[in-house]
This record gives sequence, C-alpha cells and structure tokens, in this order.
Amino acid sequence: MSGAVGYVAQDSPIHRLHALTKVVWALGVFAAALAFVDVRYLAALLASVLAVAAAARVLTRLLPAMGGLLVFALILVFFQAVFLDRGRVLFYIIPWVDALPVTDAGLVLGVAMGLRMMAVVLSFLVLLATTQVKDITTMLVARLRIPYDYAFLFSIVLRFIPVFMREARQVDQAQRARGLVLEGWNPLRKLRGYAPLAVPLVLLSLRRAEQLAVALEMRGCGRGGGAVTDRPLKIADRLLVAVLLLATGAALAARIAGYGT
Amino acid sequence: MSGPPVVEIEDLYYRYPGGFTALRGITLTVNAGEMVALVGQNGAGKSTLARHLNGLLRPASGRIRICGQDAARLRVSDLARYVGYVFQNPDHQIFRETVAEEVAFGPANLELAPAEVAARVDAALRFVGLADKRDVHPYALSRGERQRVALASVLAMQTPVIVLDEPTTGQDYRASLEIMDRVRELNAAGHTIIFITHDMELVAQYASRVIVMAQGKVLADGGIREVFRCPDILAASRLAPPDITCLAQELAPFGVSGDILTVGEMVDVLTPRLGKVRC
Repeated sequence: MSGAVGYVAQDSPIHRLHALTKVVWALGVFAAALAFVDVRYLAALLASVLAVAAAARVLTRLLPAMGGLLVFALILVFFQAVFLDRGRVLFYIIPWVDALPVTDAGLVLGVAMGLRMMAVVLSFLVLLATTQVKDITTMLVARLRIPYDYAFLFSIVLRFIPVFMREARQVDQAQRARGLVLEGWNPLRKLRGYAPLAVPLVLLSLRRAEQLAVALEMRGCGRGGGAVTDRPLKIADRLLVAVLLLATGAALAARIAGYGT
Repeated sequence: MSGPPVVEIEDLYYRYPGGFTALRGITLTVNAGEMVALVGQNGAGKSTLARHLNGLLRPASGRIRICGQDAARLRVSDLARYVGYVFQNPDHQIFRETVAEEVAFGPANLELAPAEVAARVDAALRFVGLADKRDVHPYALSRGERQRVALASVLAMQTPVIVLDEPTTGQDYRASLEIMDRVRELNAAGHTIIFITHDMELVAQYASRVIVMAQGKVLADGGIREVFRCPDILAASRLAPPDITCLAQELAPFGVSGDILTVGEMVDVLTPRLGKVRC
C-alpha cells in the first residue's frame, strides 16, 4: 500500500494537467459516487476512474492498493448481504438452521457500496499519483482562496503519509525480527499484539511533529508572507474543468430526475 | 577459526514491489565464527540482503539456507531463533516502559521459561553496560544508550548469527569503538557476526572478512587486506580504504606494503626506516 500513495514522477497526459482540473475531477467522482445507488452506474464510474489511471500510466502502481480496497469492498458486501433483510432470499450462510439469509437486494447494495468506495478512493490516489502536493497546495491557496495555513496543513498530512508507511514497515520488521507473531485467531491476543507496533509509531510521530514545528518556526513560518501565484490554466485545462463541472452537474440532475437510484 | 556454514546464499535475486531489482544474483557463504563486514554505497543492496537472512524479505529466486535449513520453509518467528537483527534506529522497536521489559520481549517471544528470560535479560544488560538502568524508562536514556538497549534486546535472544545494521550510526568515535569492542567479544564467544557499515576504519579494525556490494551484486568478497589492496574495486563501489591504508599505498615506491590497516602496523613498518630519531 505504501508504494501506492504518493506522487509517481513520470510524464503522461494526466500528469501534465493542472492541479485544479484533477481536483475538480476527483470531487466530481466523489459527488457522482454519492449520488448514484445503481450498481451499473457505479461500475461505469469506477471504470472511468480506472481509464484515467490507465491514461496516467499508474494503473500497475495502484494494483496493491486495489487489492487492499477489494478486501474492504468484500467486507462491505458481506455486511450488507447479511444485515439487509429486504428482497428475495438467495441462500443462507448457515444453511442447516436457515440463519443469516443473503438476499438479492442485500447483495446488490453491498456491491454498490464496494464500487462506490473503490471509485472514490482510487480517484484520490490517481490525483495524488499524478500531481505534486505543492501544486495542489498552491492551487488551493491561489485559486480556491483557502487560507494558507489550512492548505499547508493538508500538504503536510499528504507529505507524511509515505514517511509514516515506511516507518510502519520498519517497526513491523524490527518487531518481527524479535519474534513477534500476529497470526492466530484470538482477537484479544491480536489486539495486544499490536502494541509493539503502535507504541513506537505514535512516539515517532509525536517526535516528528515537534521537530517539524521547530523547523517551521526556524524558517519564519506563520509570519505571513507574500501572495502565492499559481501556474496559468491552459486552454485544455479550462475546457476540461468546464466539461467536468457540467458532467458533475448533469450527473446530479440525472439523479434528481430519478436515474441511477 | 571458522566452523560449518551458517549462512548459505545461492543465486539470490530480489525485486521490490515497485519493480526495482535490488539484488542480482548473490552467492556467498558465511561460516560459523566469522566476523564479516558488509559494505557498499547507499542503495547497493546491503540491508536488502541482510533482511533476507531472517526472512523479513523473501527472495524472488535463489536459495537461502540458515544453519543448514531452507529459510523459505521457516517463518520469521522461527528464523528469529537463528538470526538476530539489530536495526539502525532503536526507536523503531522500543515500546515497553522499562529497559528490562524491552529486552525481555524477544526471549519471551521464543516461549522460554520466565526464569530463563530473566537470566538472559540480566546477562544482556550487563553485557552492554546497562545493568543499573534496568528499571529506567527507555526514553529517559540517551540515543546511544537506547542503541545499546536495542542491541541487548537482540543479544538476549542468543542467536547463533547476529546482523547489525550500521551499529555505530549517530555514535561518537569512542562510543563506536566501545560498541564494536562488545561486538568483537560476542564474536569471540562464538556468535557469527555480519555488520553493515560505511566506516572503513571500523572494517579495518574489526572485520576478518569484507563483502563489497554495488548495484545489487557482490563486487568483492575476501580478507580485508586482499580487498583493500584493490583500490579500483573500492572505487567502483565509491568507497575508499582507511586513510592509513591510502597513505601506505602512496608510500609504495618507498617499499611500504599497500595492505597496512592500522596506525600500529604503519609505525612498525616505518620505525626501522626512519632510524632512531626520537623527540
């Protein structure tokens, strides 16, 4: 998963787009994913996100993340299937006592939720893989008038995800090298087993936060500075932003008109 | 001085999930009782190779045998009985509230009897000179002391092979020597030692054998004198022999042998030539 979060330095049509275009796209995907309930609409939306990932040549980089998301999606499907009792019963999970019925409606709703979650998360992963965080920050401040401190906070969070992941991996390796075993079924033991991983990670993160604060102050952060100027929007970007806004609007209008429910 | 093979690696390849091939056909054997230095520039594959020894990384192809057993068939927690691994940063592992508890974590995972765990903790703490700090919170210690806690926590597992990933990072020169002296004692006590370092002085002083890596391959593997005598191999891996060896190599026209490793050796070679002038 750690390899999947973060900028992939390469050239592609998607990489060359302005940060604003890609943020509008990700938000558009988000809105559409929330708007529609129909499995077919959500499947199409996910397909479109994957198409953009392919155009950005980051599809293979996202494969590990997709694997992880798929697991969560299956859990969603499972819970919806088990706890929704509308619709026609397809089969029982414990057949000999007819317990935990799985209905067609539950199954469909579960799949829809899985697709929705994957479309949204993957669209943001594509955004992060194709756009440098500093470009997003600059765009947020210069174009969307978001106060610099908040935009900077956002950029720090993104910046430190890969660092945190790398550290998590190292802590995991250090503890496993000392014989830590997290396998087994006893949930209580498992929970306790995470302390050797969680404690060093939290302490490292706290220390990093403190160091970062000092480093920022040392460089005069918080005094307020000059205006931020963003890269100009090219014609292609302006067109795309317009198209994306229209498409998102059309999607929402379609939903209100009763499509894709 | 060396016994049966404890680490046998055959044509090992490793690719990181991102696609970068970090190891390209490593073949080497380490025998019991050796003290091996693993050197090379950043990204040469030293840590990647070392992490195969206790199963933290699994080869894409090739075979690894640890103490005669196929490592591919053992879990990390099983390999932890054979190979101890001291990581660079002690803060990646410290999570208990006292030094003694921290050191006990490893041996307890080996499912030893409590009395045995306690005995090993005591011995390990005495060995690294922290016996009086056993009830102190690890974060109340200095970085150098925490490094020794990490070392003790691996020593307490009493593994036949100990891997040290840059054991002297962030230590001053004296502390580095102290740590390496302890490591040499471990070696003398029968542990096979493999240490990763950038410090050629430490290699010259402590290792009996050096493995030079560059771009995922082994460039040179042999006795220190043998390897340091070939400046082009070291240059290819962007390393330089210790200053005193460089000096000896510069003095070759005067008949000084190019494989001098320590100041003491240089003094022995030079004194007869310089006559009896003393100040």
